[in-house]
Amino acid sequence: MNSAAKIKAVVLIAAAVYWAACTEQAPETAEVRAPGIADWGAVTETAAYARYGLTKLSDYGFFEGDLRDLHPAERVFPYTVASPLFSDYAEKARFVFMPEGSSAEYHDRDVMEFPEGSVLIKNFSYTAGQIGADRDVLLETRLLIHGPEGWKALPYVWDTDQKEAYLDIAGGAREVTLPGQGTFRYSIPNMQQCKTCHDKNGKMSPIGPSARQLHHGTEGLSQLEVWHRKGLLSGYPEGSPPTSAVAYSDTRHPLDLRARAYLDANCAYCHRPEGSAKNSGLDLSVFAASEFALGIGKGPVAAGRGSGGLRHDIVPGNPDASIAVYRMESTEPAVMMPELGRSTVHDEGTALIREWIAGLKEG
Amino acid sequence: MLFPPKWLIFPQTSVHSTMNKLRYLIAVSSVALLLAACDDTPEYRPARNFDGDAKAVAGMFLTAEDSTEITLPEGHFLFDRSLILEGRKHVTVRGAGTKRTVISFKGQAEGAEGILVKNCKHITLEGFSIEDAAGDNIKVTDTEKITFRNIESGWTGPVGPENGAYGLYPVLCKGVLIEGCTVYGASDAGIYVGQSDSVVVRQNKAFHNVAGIESENSTRVRIHNNEAYENTGGLLIFDLPGLTMSGGDVEVWDNNIVNNNLDNFAPAGNIVGMVPAGTGIMILATRGVRIHHNNIDDHKTIGTAIVSYELVEALSAESEAAEATVGSTAEINASYRSDTAYNAYPGRIVIEDNHYRKIRGLPDMNHDIGKLLVMKFPLNRPQIVWDGIRHPDYYLPDGSVNPDYRICIREKLLFVDLDLGNDMENLTKRPDELRCKN
Repeated sequence: MNSAAKIKAVVLIAAAVYWAACTEQAPETAEVRAPGIADWGAVTETAAYARYGLTKLSDYGFFEGDLRDLHPAERVFPYTVASPLFSDYAEKARFVFMPEGSSAEYHDRDVMEFPEGSVLIKNFSYTAGQIGADRDVLLETRLLIHGPEGWKALPYVWDTDQKEAYLDIAGGAREVTLPGQGTFRYSIPNMQQCKTCHDKNGKMSPIGPSARQLHHGTEGLSQLEVWHRKGLLSGYPEGSPPTSAVAYSDTRHPLDLRARAYLDANCAYCHRPEGSAKNSGLDLSVFAASEFALGIGKGPVAAGRGSGGLRHDIVPGNPDASIAVYRMESTEPAVMMPELGRSTVHDEGTALIREWIAGLKEG
Repeated sequence: MLFPPKWLIFPQTSVHSTMNKLRYLIAVSSVALLLAACDDTPEYRPARNFDGDAKAVAGMFLTAEDSTEITLPEGHFLFDRSLILEGRKHVTVRGAGTKRTVISFKGQAEGAEGILVKNCKHITLEGFSIEDAAGDNIKVTDTEKITFRNIESGWTGPVGPENGAYGLYPVLCKGVLIEGCTVYGASDAGIYVGQSDSVVVRQNKAFHNVAGIESENSTRVRIHNNEAYENTGGLLIFDLPGLTMSGGDVEVWDNNIVNNNLDNFAPAGNIVGMVPAGTGIMILATRGVRIHHNNIDDHKTIGTAIVSYELVEALSAESEAAEATVGSTAEINASYRSDTAYNAYPGRIVIEDNHYRKIRGLPDMNHDIGKLLVMKFPLNRPQIVWDGIRHPDYYLPDGSVNPDYRICIREKLLFVDLDLGNDMENLTKRPDELRCKN
């Protein structure tokens, strides 16, 4: 390097230092807020939405007494899934309505084939304990309705007085503060966003109530068996029950099963050969055909910034070098995974996947 | 092929004087790059007022019925989540023209795309500008017959890795027409066609992207009369492992591919990150590609590169080793071989009657291939470079070249076989093997 070049380099470095110093941000003084949900104002009925569905949740008659108590009416059956999808720490109360005299067809691998006229009802709330309130607060109720032309999704948003939820196809957002999570934007999806996840081979489809997810229960009696005994399930293979998904939070189960159950519930609705993100070639379902399809040693395809400068989705033994972890720990729209349905990081979920990747053997 | 191959660690095997020369060149080019980075980062700062009624426009997308037109008014509209068309047929989205109707996703709160079209049939998008989506400006997936016409798609501000990945992104589509569009600022590809069948890309302009135009794992693709300039690489034709389909039958003609010398600003890990700055056209692991009658001019590294996925893996292994990433690199990188249907080698390539002009100055010295080219061709640099990594069945038992892997070049200029599979032992200039026979 000659002296002129040296001088140029020094000048450049000085300029860079100057620029960096001048543009450095003053440290943010984080405002610490009390847990709660910011008042979102009154929600009202939109008559124009009547062409998409009933405009009030109460119109369906799914619940008796006070709507907010979610006390199920006849033919409305509560259920739980073994390994749930993370939704910003919201609680979910799930029900299925099946018309009188009908039953769902059993599938060992996929979701139950619910009869026409069925409705899956999922209520999202924060508990009194989470938000330091006197009682739980319901934010939204999502309906998946099985009509003559297939499934459709409708979002209902709860009024501040918690007496009614109204159809709003545009969805919305709520400002929520949780201990340990700070203040974030809880998103209520619009009608079109629902199908970005609820997509199976191009058709809208339920995700949760699969044999794996339903085959658990109390006192040794699985929900599937209960449904079977009530006559709600046809084709249930008595004597050869399905393999149940483990609850990923239950540390009594092997780490590998917990991690795979987590990925299956939180990623595989898109990342499977029948899902929206099949273009990535990634299959995070428990049925993934190979380690490569599962992301082990697999490079990104169209991740853009989502790669985070890393080269493989899962690097055995090295969670910090794994794109999967990077994207789970982000809340940036172009980076985070899943793309929709959360604004916070699921600390327990990422810790689980970190532990699992750290324990994978190289090669 | 062993990892890493010997040629990638050439400083240990090259003679001292060459090394000194190389060090000098690297030093000079580093200063040049530094200066370029300070002065020449392209940027775009249009005036935007965002006084349009975005809620009304979002409502139009939400409630669009089949066989209707969504008419976007003139104005600047700002959205905080994606606009989605799902399961619709025969819908046209028509703006008042580029720069008149501007839809922006600057600072969007959720969703990675600007516009998302999914599971649709017969969709036309035309006559608007779209900007600043967090991920891709327009993504169209699982759709039959999609037309993009007269759309301006890009990112404002200085170009950089914070920009979204793709300007126009049809994937898993059948019947794609992209015409009269302008794309800029994508940190991956401006126009990116992935895993699609029957595609025409014509009369578009792509600049200030990492890749101007890219066809990936797509078949029956016609790319003509486009302008790709001031990108890192002008035009890429790639086939990658582990995807839903493989590509082929790609014809590229009458394009103006000039001065694609922009520093590569792709976020690391993405496949386009391995494209050296100053690449006109790159063909990766695709069989059935014809490149003819293009104007390919003013690139600093390579006019046209023909490479195998083996090379990509070797380069990736090299940079991982340099970063001392934990993990058995060779085995991890070799894992793409579990996709047994994947063919990592190019073949049935025809390059003829193009108008190649100058190779400018020093190649991309941040890239192993750039360094290698300087070392091997200090004076007369080749326009067309084949990595020379051959499929095990490249030669038939009688010694002739297997037609499936044949590369035919009919150009009056320097083309080379680098023979990287054998540490350049048989590096050959203008090999007969690569000449068109008829």
